Amino acid sequence: MEYLFFVVRRLLWSVVVLLGLSIVIFTIARVVPGDPARIALGPLAAQEQVDKLRTEMGLDAPLPVQYARYAGGLLQGDLGRSLLTQQSVNSDVRQTFPATLELVLATLILALAIGLPLGVLAGRYKDSLFDNLGRFVALFGVVTPSFFIALLLQLLAGYVLQILPVSGRLSPNLEFEANRTGLLLIDSLIAGRMDVFGDAVRHLILPTIALAAATIGQIARLTRSSMIDVSRKDYIEASRAFGIPNRITTFTYMLRPSFIPTLTVLGLEFASLLGNAFLVEMVFGWPGMASYGVRAIMQNDFNAVMGVVMVTGLFFVLINLVVDVLLGYVDPRIRIKGSQS
Amino acid sequence: MKSATKWLKPLLATLIAGAGLAFAQVNITMNTVQIFGTIDPAKVTDYTEYMAAANLYDGLVDVDETGAIVPLLADSWEVSDDAKQFTFTLKDGATFHDGSPVEASDVVYSVRRLLTIDQGPSYLVRDVLDVDGVQALDNNTVQFTLSEIFSPFLTTVPLMFVVNEEVVEANAVDGDWGQEYLNNNAAGAGPYMLDSWTRGSSMTVKRYEDWHMGWHAEAIDQVRWLVTNDEATVRSLAAAGDLHMTSQYQSNETYDALANSGNFRVVEEPTATGFTLKLNTKVAPTDDVHVRRAIACAMDYETIREFIFPSDPMAGPLPPSFGDAVLDTIEVAEYDLDCAREEMAQSKYAGQDNIPISHLYVANTPFEEEIALMFDAVFTELGFDVTLMAEPWNLITEMATDVNQTPNVNQIFFGPTYPSADSMLFTQYHSDAAGTWASMEWLQDEQVDSLIDQARRTADVSEQNELYQQAQARIMELQPNAFLGLQTVRHAMDNCLEGFRYVPMQSFDYNFSNYSWTCN
Amino acid sequence: MSLTTPRADRLRAVRRAWYRFRRNPAAVVGLAMVLLVFVVAIFAPLVAPFPEHVGGFVDFRNRHQPPSWTHPFGTDNAGRDILSRVIFGYRISLTLVVFVLGLAVPFGVLLGLLAGYYGGWVETVIMRLTDVFLAIPALVMALAITAALSPTLLNSMIALALLWWNWHTRLIYTTVASLKHEEYVEAAKVAGASDFHILFRELLPNCVSVISVKTTLDAGFVILIGAGLSFLGLGAQPPTPDLGTMVSSGANYLPEYWWGSIFPGLAILFTILGFNLLGDGLRDLLDVEVN
Repeated sequence: MEYLFFVVRRLLWSVVVLLGLSIVIFTIARVVPGDPARIALGPLAAQEQVDKLRTEMGLDAPLPVQYARYAGGLLQGDLGRSLLTQQSVNSDVRQTFPATLELVLATLILALAIGLPLGVLAGRYKDSLFDNLGRFVALFGVVTPSFFIALLLQLLAGYVLQILPVSGRLSPNLEFEANRTGLLLIDSLIAGRMDVFGDAVRHLILPTIALAAATIGQIARLTRSSMIDVSRKDYIEASRAFGIPNRITTFTYMLRPSFIPTLTVLGLEFASLLGNAFLVEMVFGWPGMASYGVRAIMQNDFNAVMGVVMVTGLFFVLINLVVDVLLGYVDPRIRIKGSQS
Repeated sequence: MKSATKWLKPLLATLIAGAGLAFAQVNITMNTVQIFGTIDPAKVTDYTEYMAAANLYDGLVDVDETGAIVPLLADSWEVSDDAKQFTFTLKDGATFHDGSPVEASDVVYSVRRLLTIDQGPSYLVRDVLDVDGVQALDNNTVQFTLSEIFSPFLTTVPLMFVVNEEVVEANAVDGDWGQEYLNNNAAGAGPYMLDSWTRGSSMTVKRYEDWHMGWHAEAIDQVRWLVTNDEATVRSLAAAGDLHMTSQYQSNETYDALANSGNFRVVEEPTATGFTLKLNTKVAPTDDVHVRRAIACAMDYETIREFIFPSDPMAGPLPPSFGDAVLDTIEVAEYDLDCAREEMAQSKYAGQDNIPISHLYVANTPFEEEIALMFDAVFTELGFDVTLMAEPWNLITEMATDVNQTPNVNQIFFGPTYPSADSMLFTQYHSDAAGTWASMEWLQDEQVDSLIDQARRTADVSEQNELYQQAQARIMELQPNAFLGLQTVRHAMDNCLEGFRYVPMQSFDYNFSNYSWTCN
Repeated sequence: MSLTTPRADRLRAVRRAWYRFRRNPAAVVGLAMVLLVFVVAIFAPLVAPFPEHVGGFVDFRNRHQPPSWTHPFGTDNAGRDILSRVIFGYRISLTLVVFVLGLAVPFGVLLGLLAGYYGGWVETVIMRLTDVFLAIPALVMALAITAALSPTLLNSMIALALLWWNWHTRLIYTTVASLKHEEYVEAAKVAGASDFHILFRELLPNCVSVISVKTTLDAGFVILIGAGLSFLGLGAQPPTPDLGTMVSSGANYLPEYWWGSIFPGLAILFTILGFNLLGDGLRDLLDVEVN
């Protein structure tokens, strides 16, 4: 019962945050520069053309009314029409989002697959080779811009070694429509197209590494420090004293509790991951929502910009909701704390 | 044993036949950088769409490399003495892809369809031709009657692609002229038939065996266009043998890499597409002709042509390929800073410092940015306050619609859409054509307008050329451009693939019936 | 013999701190890197081999020259010395850092103090606002704001400043929330000190070490995100030398002319690494938790 209450409260709060976000992005798009018609037409547009477009877009109404209309649309899942593609932003997002999702999921899996073991080993064998490697990876990931990692990978694996494709999601000579889940890896398996699957994996490798670099370091660092915290706990000392093998102690008693802070941070780390996706997708010509968003931003397509920001926000908030709800389930103390932060 | 050979034999036969077929079949792949928006011949507008249409459809006449009009579905035509009536006689035996004959009624239907939908090449003739202006005199004679003399008319006829009336009407919905149908299907008499089309990624066309012009021995059986603008992808496809011809928009590095691979050569052809700085003649400081002349003097043309954008020298508004219409006394401009300073001294902005001037180019186009940087370096020194603006193309076309939002200096490519001097002069410099990206000069000069109008109403070719020359002289007086160069078009082509010749008409050089595969 | 004055005490404390700091080689290296970047940026016109290559200058005959003694980092597509442009690029990066943190830190700290000290609806409003700003990646929001304001260096600085305050607010909020029940704060309250006094004389000084560590670490992140913005074409416009812009325009010429984007990229990495090592060193030295 208490848990249910926590979940509901957390859910409501997510809605409030998203509403807040919609106000912020609406304000940016419509108040700060003065006029969305102006944004749409560019800084040099003639006033009469701007006025004409204003009227067409129903922008003569007072701002709160406009916001109410926009929010009303949002609640019905309507993101408006893109000025550039002349399609609804919904359908643009629907077309591009799966590519971004596939990249982000692959990145999370890779980051966990490398970051967790690295952190565990570093924590278990403090100041060893693993520990130093972990430190280096963490530092490198934090201080290197993701677009630069992306370029280095392109240069090395794509051009020098010529072992992996440096651009796109699928070789253009493969004809395949990912029309079930939109995720190429899954749809190609369903369709039994192993050639497509292999090709998609090859295209996915470099962007995934570029995007995962920062996250791997963060995960390794956190897992390490919480492993060390936990290893100082009495019950670990006790298990050692009882002669339980180190291996078992490490993985059964230390890893599980260590995972809680890692999970928490993973939720937050997700923001920088999504942000970096905007850069990495551009470098690798990845046909995802981030590329779409950057194009929209460059071309002052304000409905598309707001749409991409809202979908990104929704994605982020949902992930954190899931993380919190999971954590609340694992660790009841968070049910009180979690609702405050 | 016996039973084994029984099924083995046909299997072997199939395998051998299959191998033989694969050997005889010539399938080539070319990349394009833009997607195919539509293939409806009444709606095509850009070079990619025309590329599809030129292969799927034929018109009454065709254009050759010199820009001359040659027979295609019509084998002869006559022009009336008042130059208002054009009568075409259809050739015998031409058939559409479904095997039905091409008849005069199909041509009439196609032209009326073009004029009614009015979204594609119809803009060229909409002022002089209406739906009643085209009539079938009999089964194989079509007559066009113009409302007034329009001398470039014949050069626009190749763009009036002929569709199969029966097929289109059978698939029409609520009298929509089959727009829905032709958006996804082709119903033409061109050399190739539509095989498959995945919007946004690829299109495949295959040879129409009974094409009325007949096929040569080394013909291409199937053409596939892949949409990709990524250099690395192009290179890896070529290395894998999956690409036989590149688009004309690859980087130098890609051309070099392909040429070095040994399987490709780079085919270069001069074109009639001019790369110019369009100077907005209506806003300060480029409203002063001396400032415009200073700009024309201060561009380092040689460096641009040699290092930044490989191209041929360009003297004036008309490329040399327009022959007698070209005013050949115009000299190619040269880089001369003293000339620029003198012109500035004569301008009304003489003596001023930090004169604001804006320079627009297409974002993410390295060579255009380099030219912008060059402009910035020179004009900062000449006392200007230069603002470089990099904008995506769609914003540029938007800016071009209003004189006050058109920047001072604009880097624009423009080539003829039909093989007539009119295409170059009217579209860029006539007042009626103002407000597009092609006319960012905002020239709006009465003298130029009337010369172009007169030329349009003159049937006599030499008189016409005289008028075109006068128009060029007047344009040069006003100096609305700095003529940077004539584009040389480059494709990397498989050593076995021949046939690219530049044609001064929208994508007609990509008609693959003119290509051949020489390695059989 | 030894006279104990407050001044000598402080001097001794500083010396002790410096001694501890010196024992952390990573931190010393970080400090040296940061100092180097500052010195080079400040004296850019003297340090850069070709200062004239920074403004309107082109020399296409010298384009894409590989690294050599004359041009240690090679030349770019307009024949300009990349090293000189990197050195001047540091000016832009540091201007960005100073501007963004100079606006965002005081503002964020003030809000954090207010939220932490007053609690109640003040806390609710301020902290929920930070939640909203956390719901979207900073880079994405900065992109949207910069593009809306038109892409210039000033606008990208404004956008980053608008996004950065909330991190400091959250940090100071947690710090203050734990400090406000300390004895000396209670004592000051009982003694009738004004809220102003408690906020700025009692609480703020106790936040200084947290703020300085966080700010140092942030300097690196501001450069990181700023570089991301300009990589996408929303930073300083050409011909102004901006490191992120240089990386992206150099990327057009990969792999043949790799130096065009690799050296500016390494230059960005160098600064961020410097600020990070220094920040980590300060954190160990001042023994504060910053996250």
